[in-house]
Amino acid sequence: MSAFLSENLLTLLLVVPFLGALTLLFMPRQWPNAIRRTSMAFLGLNFLFSLLLLPEVVELTQSVLSRFEGVQSLAAADYAQAGYHFVVDVPWIETVGIAFKLGVDGISLWLVLLTTLLTPIALYASWSSVHTKVKEYAIAFLLLQVGMLGAFFALDLFLFYVFWELMLVPMYLIVGIWGGPNRVYAAVKFFLYTMVGSLLMLIAILYVVGQYETLTGRYTFDLVLLQDVILPFDAQLLLFGAFALAFAIKVPMFPFHTWLPDAHVQAPTGGSIILAAVLLKLGTYGFLRFAMPMFPLASQYVGPTIAVLGIVGIVYGAYCAWVQKDVKKLVAYSSVSHMGFIALGMFAMTPHGINGAILQMINHGISTGALFILVGVIYERRHTRDLDEFGGLAKVMPWYTIAFVIVAMSSIGLPGTNGFVGEFMIMSGAWTSQGFIGLGQWSTIFTMVAATGVILAALYMLHAVLKMFWGPLTKKENEGLSDMNGREWAAVAPLLVLVFWIGFFPNTFLEKSEDAVVQFIGDFRAKWDESSSDDALRLWHPDRHADPNAPEAAEEAPAEEAAEAPTPADADREAAIPTLTNEALAMRLGGAR
Amino acid sequence: MSTWLSMAPLLLLLVSALFIMIVDAFANEKAELALVTSVALGTAGLVALGLLVSGQPLPPLPEMFSGYLAVDSVSLFFDFVICTGGALSVLLAGGYLREHGLERGELYVLMILSSIGAMILARSTDFLSLFLGLETMSLGVYAMIAFRRTSARAVEGAMKYFLLGSFAAAILLFGGALLYAATGHTDFVGIGQAIAEGADARLVLVGALMVIVGLVFKVGGVPFHMWTPDAYEGAMTPVTAFMSVAVKAAAFAVFVRIVMIAFGSEDMMSAASGWPPILAFLALLSMVFGNVAAVAQKSVKRMLAYSSIAHAGYLLVGLAAASKVGEQAISGVLFYLLAYTVSNVLAFGSLIWIGSKGREAVDYDDLAGVGRRHPMVALPFIVGVLSLMGFPPTAGFFGKYYVFNAAVQAGGGFVWLAVFGILASAIGAYYYLRVVVVMLMKEPTKDQVLAVPMKSGYVSAALAISGAAVMVFGMLPGWVLDLAIDAAQKLLG
Repeated sequence: MSAFLSENLLTLLLVVPFLGALTLLFMPRQWPNAIRRTSMAFLGLNFLFSLLLLPEVVELTQSVLSRFEGVQSLAAADYAQAGYHFVVDVPWIETVGIAFKLGVDGISLWLVLLTTLLTPIALYASWSSVHTKVKEYAIAFLLLQVGMLGAFFALDLFLFYVFWELMLVPMYLIVGIWGGPNRVYAAVKFFLYTMVGSLLMLIAILYVVGQYETLTGRYTFDLVLLQDVILPFDAQLLLFGAFALAFAIKVPMFPFHTWLPDAHVQAPTGGSIILAAVLLKLGTYGFLRFAMPMFPLASQYVGPTIAVLGIVGIVYGAYCAWVQKDVKKLVAYSSVSHMGFIALGMFAMTPHGINGAILQMINHGISTGALFILVGVIYERRHTRDLDEFGGLAKVMPWYTIAFVIVAMSSIGLPGTNGFVGEFMIMSGAWTSQGFIGLGQWSTIFTMVAATGVILAALYMLHAVLKMFWGPLTKKENEGLSDMNGREWAAVAPLLVLVFWIGFFPNTFLEKSEDAVVQFIGDFRAKWDESSSDDALRLWHPDRHADPNAPEAAEEAPAEEAAEAPTPADADREAAIPTLTNEALAMRLGGAR
Repeated sequence: MSTWLSMAPLLLLLVSALFIMIVDAFANEKAELALVTSVALGTAGLVALGLLVSGQPLPPLPEMFSGYLAVDSVSLFFDFVICTGGALSVLLAGGYLREHGLERGELYVLMILSSIGAMILARSTDFLSLFLGLETMSLGVYAMIAFRRTSARAVEGAMKYFLLGSFAAAILLFGGALLYAATGHTDFVGIGQAIAEGADARLVLVGALMVIVGLVFKVGGVPFHMWTPDAYEGAMTPVTAFMSVAVKAAAFAVFVRIVMIAFGSEDMMSAASGWPPILAFLALLSMVFGNVAAVAQKSVKRMLAYSSIAHAGYLLVGLAAASKVGEQAISGVLFYLLAYTVSNVLAFGSLIWIGSKGREAVDYDDLAGVGRRHPMVALPFIVGVLSLMGFPPTAGFFGKYYVFNAAVQAGGGFVWLAVFGILASAIGAYYYLRVVVVMLMKEPTKDQVLAVPMKSGYVSAALAISGAAVMVFGMLPGWVLDLAIDAAQKLLG
């Protein structure tokens, strides 16, 4: 039983919400409360299951289970080990080499947990604001979770594409049906933007698969195998462009961000929370998981440019947030600004930078998710989000004020809150990223400009806090407002705990991802090195690509895959990172072109 | 008897057409002719599928037919596609005709005869049998479009299609005659060999171009698409569904045979002196024009008509790529046609289902708020348009995926063709999405006559079957693709 569980845990995490959606489908729509409870039960169950991804939780359950006889222990994942854990690999469409292959590693672990935690919170937070079509709303959330988790798990590019597109429909419906007055425009804009980007990504995926086929004579969409295809520089640039467009739209990076404020403002509270907390992360995650490892030459070449776009996003988003009158739009633009930090951290290509970027993805999910919940709280009471309509709310809603200020501080990045740790790591990572692979000689200037984003964040956030809470109570409508109720607290409280937990004990989170990040950088550099030495299409590690169906290799192939990433101690691994001087690297790259 | 085995679906349909014609003369109005017809077509389709899946070598035909009709897996695959499309269209017609008081048995007979023509066309290996099949199919379709003879639009559409169609058939025939003059053959294999051995290049090229023009007309590709919107809009919706699936599939079947066998020589397949650039260019035009024009439509039926032009464009991409990666591209085209058949029946069927007597749904406005009033009626339509859009995990997605995959693997300029195709299909997402938007997110205006869904077992059955097929081909496309690949392999030998 338990072996079965740990082998199929990821499948289970996809099946539970799907079963939930099926169950809801057959429930009569006259029972809105039963529907709400059932959907929450399925999402809560899935969150509990997802906790089994953590070795600590597995040990805990083990110590409980060991008291019963005949119950085997669960397998715990060791995230210090390189490679993917809980791998599920089932052939799906064998003719063209498409498999149902799932796995998690240190990079995706916390994003998965963020998803399973925030989906129920988002649904819970919108209980009182969604009264029509409750059943469809809950089904959309459950299916959305299937899509998001699938996209984080997928190790098969085709499967990733399918889940990536699958997320789109429920979100589109959530914005388009339960959204604000201008919802249709926002929903269609969101859908078309994302779809255009991802379609080009599909072509790029097909191209890489085709190149793999010319090299080995068989088709596969397996990420682990396709990562070994070394493409010429020009091809990498085009393919990276296609992937980057899809991901940059999702993040959203500076020139592609215009769908975000529309979608956020029009979406219902629950939709905004999921959109900001999880969907945007899929863009940055896509860079880390797919675009960068597959096309290292191109990502090294384009990286500083993307970092600049990120910095422009930081400053521009902050200025836009500053002048907003609508609180929700302010939070939406602050997302553009915060996501810029993540882009900067990723392309800094230093352990600190990438680790910080991963942590900041979680932080942004928590703080922005909480901000949207809180904005929803006041909107439900006043039916306006205009900053000028508020003022002096601290007098009537003291507890709400405390919660809001805490979350605002975390969004600004005050020491002691989660935002500080993430942004500090990103900036220290970017500052030291002076190598040829990384931001190069401009890294200090980049970091200095990015740092102004923190000051600007304080400016727009404190401005909002000032306008909403301090000062005299000028508006009559605000006088009788009730403070937060139990349901609202229940939605926000877990996030508030996490704000301080990450703020004071970031190591809980970082220790899971840091090994994966070191491995990631090592692989990236090694593949970059290999790619830049010769500008020809070929396979890296050709020995890994023996046909598993060939009779003599049938036994060995799985073992080879398992042993694919040798795992020396950290120190060795650091040492294994090639330490070429910038000049030597530049010469190599020059030769490659 | 066994020599006729590969013709079993055709013979079955011939007998049932005669049977239904006789029954129709004696039966009263309540006779369930639609049921009989759809069962006949469905059985023929399943027989074809059974022969295809069994994979046994088929006995050759008697000498009288052997040069004219092919005995191969591709024809069985198309039998399956055409019969499925035909059977589902008949089911739709069964509900539609009764609801709108048009119940007359001739339509079913015409549909079977037209399907027979389409199947002959799909398996023809000679310009003579090609023409025979083409005219058998088309005459039935002309009559079916004009079936609602009191409607001016129907007659207009039928006349337009008839005149232009005859003209296109004449061009096709002329092209065949020129090829005969150049090569001394009317059969595709003979023409192919003669061209490879060096026939008169001028005659061959002009002849080939005329043949391609005639065929592109039949599949509704730009710039020979002018009849499509009017004929599609004028015809009754079940007939539109039939035209857009069976006729298109048959025309593509013979298109595949002609370009791969008759024009299969190295010169004709090269980018410098052959058909690939022509088809690629027409594909580009069809994709761009079809999608852009569909955006501007107010009528859903017309939108689907223009989108069928765009789909012809995607299929032409596959056909053009077949010059480089034959097996992959042709199996992609085969799969696409099957996926397109079930998705299109789903979309047209939902449009029929949403309307009832006197309140037929045609425009976007008629669909306003349907999703709120009747969610189960809106669901098949949403699945249908998502599949036409090419959204995973539906059949349409895999169709697009296989075709564009073939283009990407063909390399060179075809990669860019695929990129343009993908961008054009993103335009498609906009107008398909509009159906969803209108149904789920818009409310009807106050003085509007609301469309009321009809109650019909036939239509529900057709939607259930095609909806299930869309999802099954979308989730588990492997086995169909294997059949298609196998058929393509056998065709290319």
